[in-house]
Amino acid sequence: MISKWVGKRMVMGIVVLFIVSFLSFFIMQAAPGDPATAFYGGNAQTLTAAEKERITRAYALDRPVAEQYLAWLGETVKGNLGTSSKEGRPVSEIIMERLPNTLLLFSVTMFFIVIGSIWLGTVAGMRAGSIWDKGLSTFSIATSSIPAFWLGILFIYFFAVTLGVLPSSGSSDVDGNGGVVDKVRHLIMPASVLIVTHVGIYARFLQESIKIENSQYYVKVARANGVTERSIRKGIVRNASIPYLNYIAITIPSFFGGSIIVESLFAWAGIGQLTVKAVATKDFPLLMGSIMVTGVLVVVTLFIVDLIMYAIDPKLRKGGVR
Amino acid sequence: MKSRKTLWFWCCLLGLIVFLTVFSSLLAPFSPNKMNMEEVYSAPSSEHWLGTDHLGRDVLSRLLEGGKVTLAVASSSVILSLVIGVVYGGISGYFGGVIDTVMMRLLEALITIPSLIIILVFQAIIQGGMWGMALLIGLTGWLVTARIVRSEFIRLKEEEFVKMANMFGTPVWKILWGHLLRNSIPAIFVVTLFNFAGAIFMEVSLSFLGIGIPPAIPSWGNMLYYAQNDILIGAWWIALFPGIMIFLTILAINFIGEAWKNPERRRVND
Amino acid sequence: MIEVKDLSIEIKDQHITKHIDFTIRRGKITSLIGESGSGKSMTVSALLGLLPIDAKVSGYVMYEGRNILDASVQEMASLRRQDIFTIFQDASNSFNPSVKLGHQLYTFSGERVGDTLDVFNEKMHVILDQLGLAWEVVEQYPFQLSGGMLQRCMIACAFYVEPALLIADEPTSALDMVLQKEFIQLLIRLNEERGTTILLITHDLDIVAEAAHEMAVMQQGTIVEMGTVETVFSNPRDAYTKRLLESRF
Repeated sequence: MISKWVGKRMVMGIVVLFIVSFLSFFIMQAAPGDPATAFYGGNAQTLTAAEKERITRAYALDRPVAEQYLAWLGETVKGNLGTSSKEGRPVSEIIMERLPNTLLLFSVTMFFIVIGSIWLGTVAGMRAGSIWDKGLSTFSIATSSIPAFWLGILFIYFFAVTLGVLPSSGSSDVDGNGGVVDKVRHLIMPASVLIVTHVGIYARFLQESIKIENSQYYVKVARANGVTERSIRKGIVRNASIPYLNYIAITIPSFFGGSIIVESLFAWAGIGQLTVKAVATKDFPLLMGSIMVTGVLVVVTLFIVDLIMYAIDPKLRKGGVR
Repeated sequence: MKSRKTLWFWCCLLGLIVFLTVFSSLLAPFSPNKMNMEEVYSAPSSEHWLGTDHLGRDVLSRLLEGGKVTLAVASSSVILSLVIGVVYGGISGYFGGVIDTVMMRLLEALITIPSLIIILVFQAIIQGGMWGMALLIGLTGWLVTARIVRSEFIRLKEEEFVKMANMFGTPVWKILWGHLLRNSIPAIFVVTLFNFAGAIFMEVSLSFLGIGIPPAIPSWGNMLYYAQNDILIGAWWIALFPGIMIFLTILAINFIGEAWKNPERRRVND
Repeated sequence: MIEVKDLSIEIKDQHITKHIDFTIRRGKITSLIGESGSGKSMTVSALLGLLPIDAKVSGYVMYEGRNILDASVQEMASLRRQDIFTIFQDASNSFNPSVKLGHQLYTFSGERVGDTLDVFNEKMHVILDQLGLAWEVVEQYPFQLSGGMLQRCMIACAFYVEPALLIADEPTSALDMVLQKEFIQLLIRLNEERGTTILLITHDLDIVAEAAHEMAVMQQGTIVEMGTVETVFSNPRDAYTKRLLESRF
């Protein structure tokens, strides 16, 4: 049984995907040149009249814009994202090659950010006025003021150029046969740059929520009745995690933006780097495809966060107000 | 007492950075674009305090000039997003009802799309110059401002003095301007400060990716774009100094914003 | 059982209570009555060892032969856990909003006395029955129940743990008249059936008249009168108490 709230969130996700698709379709319309050749990709001169005719029909290119949009959307939903104009390969193929890298980077960084921020935020939040409490605020402002890519440049200088212990770029060995160890070695720098620049703000948000929760009436009642600190802390963290998750949801889009830049710096072969490459080389079908995929990634991530919130917060489940 | 002192410190630091960059043409020891192939990649020295880059240009001079560009782009984009945000949030908050619901749903959807993606799309097609960049950052950066303005307006609309003004038939524009907007200024100020930091981040990130401000114009982001290659041959000074400037600027803005965000706490700590 | 002697509390150079004395006798319902701001709640906090950090406190709170104002944080924690149960005014906010009531009732009662969940289920079922609460409440969340029901859940825990001292701090002021009466009856039942000593904090003389054996009248941080309810009601000596009693009728 899906509650009204979950349904609402799903509708929201679909609306977002429509907006992203408009954005993507807009590229096709605004891009210079013949749309048919854009979908064909590669060398437009070799395009035969018959092939051109076929593409024109498939995408309704001789019809009004609205029909073109629907035709394009239909093809996109089917998984046909066109052909890269620079590589001459299907866009979906290129994206599928790179998707695992982006998912790996995203899940590893998010995992450490969440674990680290919960630990730091709880320690600091439960000890109001302590050195942890004050220290975390400063730490969070300071680390969130560092441009991630600049920290990345410093890391490269230090760990790759000076010490030579880590590879300066790429997501695997040239032949790609390095196995897990090789993958991890390539992952360390991009991941730690993202973790260091993000863990502070999330920890701080949790810390503030915990402090608010700690001053709630029910906490006073529990303390007065000798409920153990451990069990009180569990309740506080659980309740504070609801606004914290909400904050994660709000900041996920900008986190994706940040990882696009970090992927590019470290030449991490993911969707983010692909998007930037598509912009730089004006490979419009590739750009359209990578934007759509990024949109889907954001929406799916947000939906997962929504489901976790739904599991934690009984008010959402019981249809109460929040 | 301590808190007020630190606030002053950060204000002074930000002021100093703005001063140095605004008067860069007077303060810079060299012309920022003057190349000198005899002196490429020279490390910091008494002549070139912060060294030279791959074309023998003086890093300090480019740093000051680049700051002017970065801060100019950031400020103009912030002004643009401030205007859009106030108008959008103001309409949504003042009228309420269906208009508010529709506008807020749209805003929620837009906020979900990474603004970097939107800017990348437009940069791919238009590839504008410095002001085009400012325009794009401004057009994508108003969402949070709109949200804050809306909630401030909704809160203030319920206040006694606004209800009184309505009853006495004060003209709408006077209520909007004199009551609602004027009393929202502290909140708008804080969000605009953080927006300013965000705009700087956006400019340096895009220029760093090589798809922001045209490479011919020095900016902090553009300097770092070249620095990522220079670092591999050990020329650390080209990357270090622009980054420090960005870091200090954003740090100062964030600390000032923090201090403003919570006036009660500031008073208690005095 | 508890003897408060010369208790003074000061927060930020403001005197909350000044040299107050009163006793809570074993097996009796003692009422501390006064207006809001008279220092009642802070006195409770002092008994529980839960004063704000910046509070300065002096005097004696004698319990089982020792001054609990001198007790360490751990000793106070175990005292609150083993000997005292406290019911607060705002029942709707007394429970964690996102945890099922059953679990919370367990932490307030069964867990305190060291019972397993099974023992708790059995005992609590009986108590809820007696108090007219359906067993189904344990599957519900606090926001699904009314304040009156939540306050009854609280007193159910008191029935369960049978504390040496029950402190009820304005337990009925958030309830309507009918529920107030019911709740006071429950307090009296707890006292009569199980002999529980109760400290009842209130501003309502009707409640004192109905439930308490002894009373202490508090005004602006001092105890102006102390005695059995009968003597104070029939023969008030202090001017403030007289005014209070007159305004009642």
